[in-house]
Amino acid sequence: MSASSTQALDYLESLPGVDHKKLYQLPSTVLAVFRRLLPHLAKTIVAAMLYMPGPLAATDLDAWIRPDAKAEKEQAVTLLQGLHILSIDQEIPSKPVYRLSPIFAKSLRQALTGGGNHRSFGIPCNTPETEKKDITFLDDYARQQWEAILYYMVASTGAGLRSAAEISTGTKILLSTGNFVTNKNSRVSITQVGFTFLLQEVNAQIWSLLVVYLNNAKSLQMEHVDIISFLFMLGSLELGQDYSAENLTPTQKHMLDDLNDFGIVYRPSPSSPVFYPTRLATTLTSDGSALSNTSLSSTPTSAPAAGKGYIIIETNYRLYAYTSSVLQIAVLNLFTKLKTRYPNLVAGQLTKSSVQRAIGYGITSDQIISYLATHAHPQMAKSNPVLPPTVVDQIRLWQIEGDRMKATHGYLLKEFGSKDEYADAVAYAGNLGVLVWKNDVKRVFFVNRIEQMKTYMTNKAAAVKKGKD
Amino acid sequence: MVRATKGVLVQCDASIKAIILKIDAGNSDFIIEELDDETLLVKENKLKELQMLLKKQLDDTLKYPEESDSD
Repeated sequence: MSASSTQALDYLESLPGVDHKKLYQLPSTVLAVFRRLLPHLAKTIVAAMLYMPGPLAATDLDAWIRPDAKAEKEQAVTLLQGLHILSIDQEIPSKPVYRLSPIFAKSLRQALTGGGNHRSFGIPCNTPETEKKDITFLDDYARQQWEAILYYMVASTGAGLRSAAEISTGTKILLSTGNFVTNKNSRVSITQVGFTFLLQEVNAQIWSLLVVYLNNAKSLQMEHVDIISFLFMLGSLELGQDYSAENLTPTQKHMLDDLNDFGIVYRPSPSSPVFYPTRLATTLTSDGSALSNTSLSSTPTSAPAAGKGYIIIETNYRLYAYTSSVLQIAVLNLFTKLKTRYPNLVAGQLTKSSVQRAIGYGITSDQIISYLATHAHPQMAKSNPVLPPTVVDQIRLWQIEGDRMKATHGYLLKEFGSKDEYADAVAYAGNLGVLVWKNDVKRVFFVNRIEQMKTYMTNKAAAVKKGKD
Repeated sequence: MVRATKGVLVQCDASIKAIILKIDAGNSDFIIEELDDETLLVKENKLKELQMLLKKQLDDTLKYPEESDSD
């Protein structure tokens, strides 16, 4: 799964069950969750149970899953339970059964087979062909708006950057609420979070911003369930088609203005009854790339040629970038010591201090490496591996040198009664994927999340108590 | 009865651990528990301070060769 879907998933998991119930009433939301957010095993489980008349016995589910994939099964089931898609019923303690949420199942069946009058997939308008906006126009609009936001963020790092389009005050406030930029002495400067944000791919960037938007919704008196179902609906719309804004709730109408500012939707005029989803919207819940890499080029009219790279790195850590885009140069400047700039080329060098400075900002070596690899010049991309191994290794070494200790937040569990109790708990934590460190001799272990472990311990303690009675 | 302690698990070399112990000896406010030669449990709200002190200590003791700009 890509980074973008993880963010949406984390947000969704943090919502209470009541919100999930409301969300799952719309087929478009359910379909988006199903096809985009769930890992494959979870999809398989849901799909298998979708048309089942009754609940599924836990032993039957275990029989389906190969014994060596037990860890994956635990993770999938935990996730489905967290999203309130699957619930476990322990009326008869010896025979627990799994039940698919009826609301979720009904909506998913409706989404897959059609029917119903839910209108959750948008209502197309029938504007005459001549007045319609074409896809090229929408792409340009989306790119221009989104780049304006990125420009605004990096403008603080280098002089001489000028923005192509102005962004609204609302968006500026949102960026500082999300801690992407800070306002110090009325000067905007970028933060660690902002740097990480910049190096992400566009789809992940959009979700990062939207999650901030969602968290911020309460203060704007907006209903976050409305927002998220609208976002999922946008993901199912068709590019180049115009949709009616008349049936939307007040919250969603308000959102249109904000999304228009991000370049996620386009409205011909602020009071227009129609809106067009742009490519940024239609890829919200799909794997497709929102804007190709060239989107960061300074000429907004450049054709979106797929993944045209511009960076060359030599084994002596020298870096040449064929670009005249101020935004790209600013990004490179985060981790490179730039020396010369020509009309279509900048030259510089990766040095220990430049890379460690970037790491100090909160950028990881892997982010730098993946940025360099994805934007490698076609000539570089021909070789395998794309980047010189010495350079990759050195960047990693510089990072390790910078942080000599690895810190993980979480909980230390200790004082287990017996060896078996300890072994069971460790095995369970391992299957959940939360185990970070263990010491079998001292019978202690460390987990990065405690919620599931707590339930497990309580159940276990109850079972032991029962056994004694 | 099993007990859970909230904190930050710090994994590092034995040498780094020795430095952390030395820092902690000054004002024993950081470490909750020493787990083994390469692992420590540290108070969550003190992590930033500890990282800073560690970096300072390392910068003072280790000298890196100057980077050449000429090549």
